[in-house]
Amino acid sequence: MPNIVACFKWVIDEAYIRKGASGALDFSAVDYKISDYDRNAIEEAARLKGLHGGSVTVLTAGAPEAAKGVKDALSRGADQAFFASDPIFNQLESSQTAAILGEIIRSRIPYDLIICGEGSSDQYAQQVGPRLAEKLGIPCISYVQKLTIGEGGRVLAERRVEEGVEVVEAPLPVLVTVLPEINTPRIPGVKDTLMASKKPVVTIKKEELPAIGAARLQTLGMTATRMERNCEKFAATPEGIAGFVEALQKKGVIS
Amino acid sequence: MQGIWIFAERKDLALELLTIAGGLASQPGVKVTAVVPDQGDQADIYIAGGADELVLLSPLGEDMSLDAWIPVIAAEAKEADPDIFLIAATARGKDFAARLAARLDTGLCSNCIDMRREEDGTIVMERLAYGGAAVQRVSCETRPVMATIPPRTFSPSPADHARSGAIRTLPLPPSTPVRVIARKTKERSSQDITEAKTVICVGRGMEKEEDINIARQLAELVGGEIGCTRPISEELHWLPDDLCIGLSGVQVKPDLYLALGVSGQIQHVTGIRGARVICAVNRDENAPIFQAADLGIVGDLRDVTPKLMEELKKATGR
Repeated sequence: MPNIVACFKWVIDEAYIRKGASGALDFSAVDYKISDYDRNAIEEAARLKGLHGGSVTVLTAGAPEAAKGVKDALSRGADQAFFASDPIFNQLESSQTAAILGEIIRSRIPYDLIICGEGSSDQYAQQVGPRLAEKLGIPCISYVQKLTIGEGGRVLAERRVEEGVEVVEAPLPVLVTVLPEINTPRIPGVKDTLMASKKPVVTIKKEELPAIGAARLQTLGMTATRMERNCEKFAATPEGIAGFVEALQKKGVIS
Repeated sequence: MQGIWIFAERKDLALELLTIAGGLASQPGVKVTAVVPDQGDQADIYIAGGADELVLLSPLGEDMSLDAWIPVIAAEAKEADPDIFLIAATARGKDFAARLAARLDTGLCSNCIDMRREEDGTIVMERLAYGGAAVQRVSCETRPVMATIPPRTFSPSPADHARSGAIRTLPLPPSTPVRVIARKTKERSSQDITEAKTVICVGRGMEKEEDINIARQLAELVGGEIGCTRPISEELHWLPDDLCIGLSGVQVKPDLYLALGVSGQIQHVTGIRGARVICAVNRDENAPIFQAADLGIVGDLRDVTPKLMEELKKATGR
């Protein structure tokens, strides 16, 4: 019965980011969420447990506020959580995240299968999964849209590539990164949320981990994307639609 | 040593990377090395495109995965110690790049859309973050500076047949535990929407699959192609995924982009940024798509589209 680890990131919900003065990003009204595709990773782990038994451990590195995300993850079918918590852990770069997750898995969590989302909703660097596999020295299958655990502890995965689908097979242990189409994440109910509060959470402080190296990529700046379009709105009336078509002609895009 | 390495699975993508390499290697003495699969033909096309050295990867066995090359290329790159290593951001390429970066213990700018050398020699790279709402500027202090480059971000390098270069071939690497057991080529949609002059985009405002016909009729009238938002292809499977426009789908740059029932999430808007004129029909006047649009009609697409088609016929005399 497989021990499955699903990794997730607690991120700013990008839908709440506003464009501030002089191109700065305004984070004043933001809310947080489990990164979209990481919800698929947790769901896939829970789905496979439903079929094969075993256990599901969720794992994250984040600021202490990410405890809310840990509880959310536990309400999605996981048995236990490991949470690397430190105020500086909301600023991690992919190589650092992979190092922390790798260290915790190696030293504390027995595993057969590790599932990550293909990329996070905030940075979308798509690196933590493959880098983590390298840290652990296990095979990595990324961009997976269908996952099966077969006879003799082998995984069968359909990975999406430009020209179509590559069906690959690898022996456990293996790391897989998943695409959103692999499943539909559940919406936890009240009972799930109540049960989540009773599940074990192992919180690991920065001091309990080996020193984290410097970020391999330095962020020099972050500015709002410019999108300078002044929408001219027309009503759905005969005059409005005629005005719309006239405007299209003036812009020279219909002839 | 000074040098720029590039790796791409496909020839067209390798030539795009050579364009960037050429721009960064403006001073003499910077060697450009292209690492590409040996497809048994036209090795000189890469040299004409700007490579000084060509490293050909022997064809992999049918059941072998690209990751068999990771240890070999990592060892080669450690030995040659280039300043920069660019990789085409295909699915396999992105996985390959991240694992290579882990082995070389260096930084990787994923989906890099701009890369230039500052006066002090620092390489500054740009990429999109927060679903495309932000531009992130990054640099890397470790060697090599690595980046994955999305297809079609740069034009292919022009050929200069007077150039010369060295060619060597790497022998087949050992197999890895990952075995490819089947490759399924998907059916391509009839038209490539990345090249279309007019794109009619279908969004979640379409209540049922048959409603797509409304968009098809409009597309036929204006000579455009159909595209869609992520929920239409990934969740509802009403249209194939190569028509999905957005950050994780295709980027389009038509003269006219017209959205029917598209709410305008930032990830989708990122995919239409290059359109000349953006139009939207949506019944919610506060839909974010209107902030990204030049022209909009507030109304139900089932009601508006037929009337719009009548008006277009009148205006164009069709």
